[in-house]
Amino acid sequence: MKISGSYTLPVAPERAFQILQDPAILAQAMPGCESLEKIGPDEYRMKMKVLLAALSGQFEGKVRIADQAPPTSFRLIVEGSGRIGFLKGDGLLKLLPRYTDYTGPGAEARTSTEVSTLVSYEGDAQVGGTMAAVGQRLIDGTAKMMIKKFFDKLAGLARNLTW
Amino acid sequence: MATTTTKVETFVGKRIRRREDPRLITGTATYVEDIQMPGMHYAVILRSPHAAARIRSIDTKKAESAPGVVCVLLGKETKGVGAVPCGVAMPDLRVPQHTILATDRVYFVGHPVAVVVARDGYLARDAADLIEVDYEVLPAVADPEKALAKGAPAVHPQWPDNIAFTYHQDGGNVDKAFAEADVVVKQRIVSQRLVPMAMETRGVVAEWRNADRQLNLYTSTQIPHLVRTIVAGMLGLEENRTRVIAPEVGGGFGSKLNVYAEEALMGYVSMKIQKPVKWIESRRENFTCTIHGRGHVDFYEIAAKRDGTILGIKLKLIQDVGAYHQLLTPLIPQLSVLMMPGIYNTQNIRADIVGVFTNCVPTDAYRGAGRPEATHGIERMVDMLAAELKMDPAEIRFKNFVAKDKFPYATATGLTYDSGDYAAPLKKALDLVGYAKLRQEQADLRKQGKYMGIGISTYGEICAIGPSPATPAGGWESATVKIEPSGKVTILTGACPHGQGEETTFAQIAADELGVALDDIVVLRGDTAVVQYGIGTFGSRATAVGGTALYYALQDLKAKIKKFGAMLLESEDVTLAGGQVVDNKTGKSKPFQEIAGATYRALKLPPNTEPGLMATRFWEPPNFTFPFGAHIVVTDIDGETGQIRIRRYVAVDDCGNILNPLIVDGQIHGGVAQGLGQALWEQAVYDDNGQLVTGELTDYALPRAHLMPWIESHHTCTPSPVNPLGVKGVGEAGTIGCSPAVVNSVVDALSPLGVRHIDMPLTPEKIWKLLATKNRDVGSRGATK
Repeated sequence: MKISGSYTLPVAPERAFQILQDPAILAQAMPGCESLEKIGPDEYRMKMKVLLAALSGQFEGKVRIADQAPPTSFRLIVEGSGRIGFLKGDGLLKLLPRYTDYTGPGAEARTSTEVSTLVSYEGDAQVGGTMAAVGQRLIDGTAKMMIKKFFDKLAGLARNLTW
Repeated sequence: MATTTTKVETFVGKRIRRREDPRLITGTATYVEDIQMPGMHYAVILRSPHAAARIRSIDTKKAESAPGVVCVLLGKETKGVGAVPCGVAMPDLRVPQHTILATDRVYFVGHPVAVVVARDGYLARDAADLIEVDYEVLPAVADPEKALAKGAPAVHPQWPDNIAFTYHQDGGNVDKAFAEADVVVKQRIVSQRLVPMAMETRGVVAEWRNADRQLNLYTSTQIPHLVRTIVAGMLGLEENRTRVIAPEVGGGFGSKLNVYAEEALMGYVSMKIQKPVKWIESRRENFTCTIHGRGHVDFYEIAAKRDGTILGIKLKLIQDVGAYHQLLTPLIPQLSVLMMPGIYNTQNIRADIVGVFTNCVPTDAYRGAGRPEATHGIERMVDMLAAELKMDPAEIRFKNFVAKDKFPYATATGLTYDSGDYAAPLKKALDLVGYAKLRQEQADLRKQGKYMGIGISTYGEICAIGPSPATPAGGWESATVKIEPSGKVTILTGACPHGQGEETTFAQIAADELGVALDDIVVLRGDTAVVQYGIGTFGSRATAVGGTALYYALQDLKAKIKKFGAMLLESEDVTLAGGQVVDNKTGKSKPFQEIAGATYRALKLPPNTEPGLMATRFWEPPNFTFPFGAHIVVTDIDGETGQIRIRRYVAVDDCGNILNPLIVDGQIHGGVAQGLGQALWEQAVYDDNGQLVTGELTDYALPRAHLMPWIESHHTCTPSPVNPLGVKGVGEAGTIGCSPAVVNSVVDALSPLGVRHIDMPLTPEKIWKLLATKNRDVGSRGATK
């Protein structure tokens, strides 16, 4: 399954790059995330709960960050499995500065001259097991929804953080 | 003395309601799931989520310490259990070792990896989630054509080409036929993977009785005796101390014509824990680990003269095997080859089969088993040939039918068709549907830009399977008839039914032969400790083979009854009729029931005659039987949405003599439902990674009652000379005749757009896309996209 899309974060690319790799922030932003701990350089162990229509289950897996080119791009490799199946994903995130008006969450607190970041992502995801057999029709929509929730939360967190 | 009533009423040929139905429709039948035993434990099987992976390690600690769990078993423990067998022998057949639990590698999604046994089914299920399996995921291949390509992942590393078997058959002179042909039509035709979907999933209860060294195995199967022989062998048990019971079986359609890993596995578990254990397959498991049907990619070529005479047929057949051979996997495409000439008079055929391993659940017999695929192929090809030659599809069929004076007819594939009058059902179906008028209507509708199609299929099939040399485990069938001292009759049939109504039809046969009431007859089946060895119910064989064994056992008993009757009447010239033995000279008679009592009381015996009334017959059929028929389907297609509406469904089937028209109609209806399922909706889809993405009934489009058309079921009757009942078999006819009639109809409807073939299933999406593109190509109507 191909996944792609973009989202504007209300911070400059340098900051966005940091946030997107900060386990404490990510753990808060990822829907269903129960824990995210660093186990090595650019490698994290993750526990999350996934809800897919009638299916729900805990996933345990690893998140790895590779090919880092701050502040413009990095690669995210996710692997997880649980009782409802497994998922594997590999995606490239690109960060571009945006100088146009920002209208997302937190827009009211910003001025139009501030720099925001357009995060565009593109990747492949593979799901297996019960999730694939039963939830195939829903995976696409669920993935999109989860990504949107993630960025919405992240944008909110980014706005509220004081640096 | 006996109070049994004697009747002169006959039953064969009448619409007798099924005697098994009251318990089925009141929910009082006993299926495997209904069996409860003291101390019973429950097993849940952990299955692979990957289509191909190496197992690095399995950690069962958490699961073992979970509440209620008795044990967790892995493949390394069950290594001593024999492999799941392939029952087919053929040269160069590659048979991968099919252990009952995966050991170091998994080969398909659903592959059993571990079994958790607990005192409660839910606790077992929860504990299964606690097993941690470390998989090294390997590349998988799920498409048979891709599996044949160079560089494809090897399903079994020892066979990098993924070829499971090849098979070649040549009849006549194909090269000459094609050289002399005016026209050759070629087409790739797919017969997609299907999920058999018995309403009752599989299930096993195993009860090991240690003191007796006896295993009782309750399993939802079509073949209890074969399961006993094979499972006893796998577990190293004695056959006479292994008892297999198939209680009520809620459908099989071929999917329970098999021996599965779980049957031996539960036996093993029960022996290990010394308690009865139950495993019931969930519907999701059923999707991924009970065999699938079909899975063909066929490349057909048909050669003909300009006048429509078929000269020869070539077929290259790719059979998607799956990861393993189940019991009959390699046999199924061979049945397709046997059937490939259809009912047409051509003596030149060539077939090449290649069976291909894929990282999918194995394919095996599913309603029709090989014959629907072949019939779909030949019936599509004949229609394409007719279109090419601008002939009417009915006319080209009449021209090529084997003539009715040519029987017995030897086919180029080595069969001998027993009897037939192939033109009769087609003529009848054309009359019933009003063919000429419909063609006129079609022409008018076309002028209005509307799509209406008329599809014909004239099928033949191979039933009453079959002579033992042609079947992997013996093709005979057995019957015992016991007449009790009271004159009540018990029939034990080896042809264990799973919904075919043998408790009714077999009672009808016996009632007429003995002249007793149906209520005086009980039909027992499905318990190897009760019933003599038998083969089972599949391949439309139960009545034609099992019914014939019953018929001959009844003849033995009738002879004995007459002997006793003659003795009691002090006559030498008696007849048995209407439940009475009558002295032909004096007209004096003795009721059958009184004679039955006398055979057991044995105060006096006829010379060289033993007491009692019981007879067993094992009947070996000298040939298959070959039913046939014509199905005509009229469809209307919505040009805007691609929806297909079946306006008429006319089925004229010739299955020889009909014992019970109600049951025959039921078989036709059920068969057509499954044929329509394949033609219009059903498809088991694996993605490129070998994940089954149609793993639930929300994604797998099984026909529902409201989708069924009204089936106009009619018959012609050409009795079979192969058995004394003159029956041929009808269990699969509906399925076999259906799918090509539907596709021919839809292709006919869309032929003005230049459509010449569409692969099943004919989903509205597929038809809509075709309409959109073709309309644009043809430019005759505004394209919607």
